[in-house]
Amino acid sequence: MVHASGGRDRWSEPLPVAPKDRAGALRAALGEVLDPELPISLVELGLVYGVDYADGTARVDLTFTATACPCMDFIKQDVRDRIGSEPWVDAVEINEVWDPPWTTARISEAGRRKLGRLGVGA
Amino acid sequence: MTANAPAPLSRHILTLADTKRLLGIRYSDWILGSPSIETGIAASSMAQDEWGHARLLYAMLKKQGFDPFEVEHTRPADRYYSAPALDRPFADWADFTAAVVVVDGALAVALESFADGNFALARTRVPKMLAEEEYHRQFGSAWFARLAEAGGDAKARLTGSALAMLPSTLAWLLPGDDVYEDLVDGGRVWSGERVRKRCEDRLSALLARAGITLADVEPDRAGWDAERRRGPGSPAEEAVERARGDRNRDLFVE
Repeated sequence: MVHASGGRDRWSEPLPVAPKDRAGALRAALGEVLDPELPISLVELGLVYGVDYADGTARVDLTFTATACPCMDFIKQDVRDRIGSEPWVDAVEINEVWDPPWTTARISEAGRRKLGRLGVGA
Repeated sequence: MTANAPAPLSRHILTLADTKRLLGIRYSDWILGSPSIETGIAASSMAQDEWGHARLLYAMLKKQGFDPFEVEHTRPADRYYSAPALDRPFADWADFTAAVVVVDGALAVALESFADGNFALARTRVPKMLAEEEYHRQFGSAWFARLAEAGGDAKARLTGSALAMLPSTLAWLLPGDDVYEDLVDGGRVWSGERVRKRCEDRLSALLARAGITLADVEPDRAGWDAERRRGPGSPAEEAVERARGDRNRDLFVE
């Protein structure tokens, strides 16, 4: 199946009320954002290194598979659009991080299973 | 050096970043016209890596008081700190292969040294670069060995290319001046002696296949420009126009 950018055609509706565990809710929302090249989420791909929330601002520590990943801008925009759609999020800050370096070892088991069903080994 | 010469750490970052940017351009010249489609794709991937590394390095200059946009997009050719071996386009695939081994190899050693120092941004960003560089090393080593073992004109041209690049590249890698010693004393990078040793460990056996004894090659510091940490001259204007993105200047949008 072909998804719209970031998998937005399958994104959940924003939560009408701020949840108690805001960081957890943010991580769940990021779990819906698909990588532009592989049909698994950024969380499953292991690109999300940290999520935090304070005073209306969501902060995401995000890495990329390569230092010159051509999809960086798309990914950042998808993250902003998904998290920013929550009415309790006033601002989204993305912190680009490179430590520790991403490798395929960071792909989750769920992500590996999905890729495996598509014939992609990781 | 002039009164506006960059601080030692800034000079070091500019040296690495500019060399990566120029190396990316030189690699990109061979995306089409290399020995096979597959090698062209490898050239494309390596060019992509070099530009990614350059961008991360230029960004390190922000906390050193530089405007990264100005550094990347406004400097004239004679303000580039890149390794002289990249001033002119590669003449052939022998030049390309020699540059992967000699210039990219020297860059990798310089990055290892930087990542092992006490500059936090280097410690956190450079390991990813080095992981990507490992593929360049494998690609360069395979092609270098292949041309060397072919003998005849292929080996002669490879040897000539590597020998032409080595003296200026060693000088670039091992400036041996007070500015570099400041970095060593400050714990930012390895000593010149350790860098040389690492370079020999990494490259000697491979270069020997082309009949080159690395230990016998002396850095060429003739006409040394201490401010730009390189010998005389500058990268060709055409390459700098591409590095700066001159044609797209009016299209830079956020």
